[in-house]
Amino acid sequence: MALDVQAAPVLDPEKVGSNRLVRSYSRARRSGAPAWWLQRVTGLALVVLTVGHYILMHYNPVSGHDYGETASRLASPWFKGIYLGFITIGMYHGLQGIWNIVRDYKLKPAVGLTIFGIIVVAGIIFVGVGWNTILTFDPTKP
Amino acid sequence: MTLEIIPEKGHAPATLPLPNFVNGATWISPLMSYTPNREPFSAWNKLILAYRRYSGSWAYILHRLTGIGLVVYLFIHIWALSSLTRGRAAFMQEMQTFTSPPWKVAEWLLGALVMFHAFNGIRIAIVDLGSGARYHKKLLAAVWVVGVAVVVGMFFLIFSTELFAK
Ligand code: HEM
Ligand code: HEM
Repeated sequence: MALDVQAAPVLDPEKVGSNRLVRSYSRARRSGAPAWWLQRVTGLALVVLTVGHYILMHYNPVSGHDYGETASRLASPWFKGIYLGFITIGMYHGLQGIWNIVRDYKLKPAVGLTIFGIIVVAGIIFVGVGWNTILTFDPTKP
Repeated sequence: MTLEIIPEKGHAPATLPLPNFVNGATWISPLMSYTPNREPFSAWNKLILAYRRYSGSWAYILHRLTGIGLVVYLFIHIWALSSLTRGRAAFMQEMQTFTSPPWKVAEWLLGALVMFHAFNGIRIAIVDLGSGARYHKKLLAAVWVVGVAVVVGMFFLIFSTELFAK
């Protein structure tokens, strides 16, 4: 799906405002660039996940730094599911963000491709490590 | 493909023809790429111009820095937590590091990064997904006010137990 910068204006400029900035925004949000959309959608999901997680880990001194507390949370399949999603969404959003920053610099295609490769591989490895932690966690281990 | 430069008030609009590599959104893969309104300036020009021309530029650079900080943290975090698979002793030993004073402060600062990035991210999403260009300055002011209030309030709630107890 291409980002069609030339896409026909969808909103009545009179209604939206005659300002060019306004028009370029209304066009951008309908351009359909999937990664751009996903960055916003995953961002909003992360509001709940990250802020909720931060509160949960700090509402008392041990909550976020104690094996027993963690083990009791990970006994729940709901928590496990949430963490799997959290790892995946967080890593995707963060690395897509890094990639977007990298794309602000004009790079030779070979250099860009290499950095892209590093980002994707690092992402896959760390999502794997995270999932492994959640899925193979065994509270009976000493 | 052409790219439209949003002109300053009183400047003529400009359109520059650019190769798809510079401003295309679908380079390499649709899932890992987006580049709306890319400007064909050098990174430094871009940075300097951005500061001077837009009121949201500090928000923009802070969003970027907090985003990078959070990614770095997420890598460290997932790595440290992998000790969970090695049992209670390994995890507790790992946590010794994270309960040392420097890390307490780091975690505390991390809360501010998270809150800034979250609030500003919500603002960006509102501006982009609504027709927010009409009210983005008011929105930015509102985000700063509400954000600072929430961060102060949250820090008090969270750290009243950790810093002031005992
Ligand atoms: C807490 C909720 C979050 C929200 C609402 C949010 C929202 C956003 C949005 C809307 C963008 C796009 C900015 C743009 O296109 O100008 C963005 C960029 C970014 N986010 Fe987040 N995000 C959140 C959490 C996170 C987390 C947890 C991480 C790290 C793992 C992260 C890392 C990044 C990075 C590196 C960027 C790229 C910055 C840039 O392009 O300048 N974000 N975020
Ligand atoms: C300094 C504050 C934080 C503390 C003390 C903390 C602590 C923890 C702990 C103890 C766990 C294990 C699961 C559990 O106990 O329920 C966990 C999991 C997780 N946290 Fe945090 N966290 C913090 C901040 C963050 C932030 C800011 C993010 C997002 C960028 C994050 C992302 C995650 C993810 C994705 C997991 C699941 C990781 C895995 O199992 O590999 N955490 N956190």
